[in-house]
Amino acid sequence: MSETLAKTEEIVKKAKTLGADEVIAKTTFGRYRKTRFSNNQIDISVAWNDYATDVFLSWKKRVVGTLIRNFQNIDESVKRLFNLAEVSKENPQYGGVAKGKFGYKKSNADKALENLENPAEYVFEAIEAAKKEAGSDTNAGGILFTKFEDVYLVSSEGPMGEDHRSAIELSIRAFSQRESSGHGVECSSTIKGFDPAKAGRKAGEIARQAKNPKAGVEGRYDVIFEPLFVGSLLGIWGPMTSAYSVMIQQSIFVNKLGQKVAPDTVTLRDTPASYSLASKVFDDEGVPVKENVLINKGVLKTYLHNTSTAKIFKTETTGNAGLVMPTPWNIELDEGDMSREEMFREVKRGLYLTNTWYTRFQNYATGDFSTIPRDGIFLIEGGEIKQSWKDIRLSDNALKMLNNISGISKERQHVHWWGEADPPSLSPYILMKDVQITRPK
Amino acid sequence: MDKDIADFALNHAMSNKVDYAEVRAHRGDYQELVMKNGVLDAYISLVDSGFCVRILAEGGIGFASTNKWTKEEAKTIVDIACKFARMAKRKDKITFAEEKSVKANWRVPQKKKIEDTSPETRIETITELDKFLTSQGVNIAARMFDFESSLTEKYFVNTEGSVISSHIPRIGAYGFIMVVENGKPEQAYKQFGYVGGFEALDQWKLTEQMTHEANVLRKVIKEGKGVKPMKMDLVCGPEVTGIAAHESCGHPMEADRILGREMSQAGRSFIYPNGSFWLGTRIGTALVTIVDDPTVKNSYGYYEYDDEGIKARPRYLYKNGVINEFLHNRETAAKLGTRSNGASRAMNYDREAIVRMANTFVQPGDMNEEEMFEDVKQGVYMRSFTEWNIDDKRFNQRYVGREAYWIEKGELKHPVARPVIETTTQIFWSAVDAVSKKVEYEAASCGKGDPSQGAPVLTGGPLIRLREVYVK
Repeated sequence: MSETLAKTEEIVKKAKTLGADEVIAKTTFGRYRKTRFSNNQIDISVAWNDYATDVFLSWKKRVVGTLIRNFQNIDESVKRLFNLAEVSKENPQYGGVAKGKFGYKKSNADKALENLENPAEYVFEAIEAAKKEAGSDTNAGGILFTKFEDVYLVSSEGPMGEDHRSAIELSIRAFSQRESSGHGVECSSTIKGFDPAKAGRKAGEIARQAKNPKAGVEGRYDVIFEPLFVGSLLGIWGPMTSAYSVMIQQSIFVNKLGQKVAPDTVTLRDTPASYSLASKVFDDEGVPVKENVLINKGVLKTYLHNTSTAKIFKTETTGNAGLVMPTPWNIELDEGDMSREEMFREVKRGLYLTNTWYTRFQNYATGDFSTIPRDGIFLIEGGEIKQSWKDIRLSDNALKMLNNISGISKERQHVHWWGEADPPSLSPYILMKDVQITRPK
Repeated sequence: MDKDIADFALNHAMSNKVDYAEVRAHRGDYQELVMKNGVLDAYISLVDSGFCVRILAEGGIGFASTNKWTKEEAKTIVDIACKFARMAKRKDKITFAEEKSVKANWRVPQKKKIEDTSPETRIETITELDKFLTSQGVNIAARMFDFESSLTEKYFVNTEGSVISSHIPRIGAYGFIMVVENGKPEQAYKQFGYVGGFEALDQWKLTEQMTHEANVLRKVIKEGKGVKPMKMDLVCGPEVTGIAAHESCGHPMEADRILGREMSQAGRSFIYPNGSFWLGTRIGTALVTIVDDPTVKNSYGYYEYDDEGIKARPRYLYKNGVINEFLHNRETAAKLGTRSNGASRAMNYDREAIVRMANTFVQPGDMNEEEMFEDVKQGVYMRSFTEWNIDDKRFNQRYVGREAYWIEKGELKHPVARPVIETTTQIFWSAVDAVSKKVEYEAASCGKGDPSQGAPVLTGGPLIRLREVYVK
């Protein structure tokens, strides 16, 4: 047993000695690095080292939590936490945490991401690639992010393990003109095959096509969504499968288990796969993570659970704890049978949307919302891009849109961007019928 | 918090021949409880502390933070920050606007101390709110409440001789409800925030406000009618006035955004050098004056010195309808040849300070509430909003009414279900022809930064009347 795991176990033992029923301690040593750039220059590079143990404790169905930094003041912190449990209020819905010993897959974390030698080179490579596509006066901004985490988890109920998690992400937005831009991302759990220029080329290509945009026109359109935009849509549908979202009615999937919520071509999964930024081997209860099919051929199959929500819904945990709130790790929309070119040929008059931001709901239960497309917005006529547009809004319904998916590409990309395309996902291009577009008046 | 370690880090930075260095240390005592559908999910209580160093060297900036309080770790993060600053190799070197050094120690007083308020009292407060709300005969099918407090101690030192200590108590609450009538759901949320102690609860009137929201939702479901899309007068309540001020004045006036630093995340601004809009350009009628003021006592965005050690003061962003003053930190001020106006904020020790709003509101006018409606032939009173958003240049925005009423011949009639204004910043502020004396404020969390930093802010203002705008 490593020294850190032993110290983590010590916290659990201390809490048990005080009389706690269940205790989980999770220690994370994180090294995070981020380089921010704009106007083709580096603005700041940031490093944050994090030494933290999250402690979760239950006593007579009272659930409390704390954070201990760098194993400081363990006795005092644990005692304070137990005292808090004693005066807290019973949670009759609390169903405990996972019990038993589990074996875990080996982590494929990449040690090279602990301290990337020269992050600036990756940034400049992406900028140059964007310039090559969109012209030498292209103006680009974005981030390069790396993380390396050592994670140690001990549960009083049996689970115990170590995990190592790494990620690298480059996001670049390139402007070919003041109101003409494109966005590209490159995301991976390891440095192997990581290609910052690919993100730069994508951003530059869209920015070049987006030149001289005209004001968009209101109406209902067939729309092709770029994988980055699809990442934002999966960021709506995926978290709405969390049992917690369902319980507070912030979901379009309430009372829809076993029902058709999408066409037969739609299969949606959650999996913290080895390629993903969110790759991991166990959840916050120490349950081995796995692939869960959320929607199978259009039918809603499961919500995402921790042990406690699973008990309420009379099912098993899906390995998605969050101790209070089950959460998706990495959403995958299964590949379809269309090429990107075939998808464009399908559209007589429609739109190609490449990215979006500022998604807000009127009502999570009904799914009414709007979001603002940004970067390349294109009018398609006769299967070809005819015009670059600007200043439109997608104002529609999340459940209806899921049902209106009419084409999915074979090609998929691992995407993540800021808080918009989040959680990370494996996203294809999708074609959707009858999407409502509005604009300011 | 070990101030000696922070001072040691600053000294170590100075020995690295840097142009500028600062060390900012935070210690926070946080408590949070979450209640879902009447059940206390969890109570979280923690103490967090750490420090960061920001270095300016060779025209680049490096930043590093840690929560390990040792001299060895301090040296490590200073060395990383120095390396990062020099790695930038910028063509145009970053400089900071010159400012005087400051020695200060500021604390926000509390009437009912956060540290003296027991977990039981907090749980009881939310439990009673939940009980009351669910006993009013409204079918509340789902609800969630979050209640939190923090006591933050900060210590700031820089190589120019500034030494600033502060102590900030802050409490916040968030309520979400879903009402169902005749099988139809409507949802609402409300946020509350205050810098100070538990006396905040006397002002918030949590129970009264959440009950009002529940009744509004029921009424909208039962009696709400749609609106025929057309040009009409729109009276915005303080909540709607406030969000419009925040989104279409506060954000586009952030100088880092104007200069492109946020281009890949929160975006740029419709205001930019050599563009159609700049300082001195008219953006609204003469009745529109929007202020961002961190010095409003007990406001959610209150501070006395920003996180670069600059004294806080009110900023008149739009003044009498004209673009007047941007929000600056020292970096943006130097680039635009001016002084910082103290808008640099960081949410924790592990985040860089960036240009932020504090409390952004429209200044009141001279009309009473009745006068705002009396010569409206037909229109909508949008008292509060649900869905909202704005494009990343802060020009194309949309607000959907939560509580709204039809106005006919100066009188409020039936509720209007989800009226929408979708318009531009210029059309919105250029349509204002009346501003009320009455002013109200709302707490909010403002999103910006990468990594993201949700900043506590206040929005608000008076009722404002917009003539002949398109409402659907």
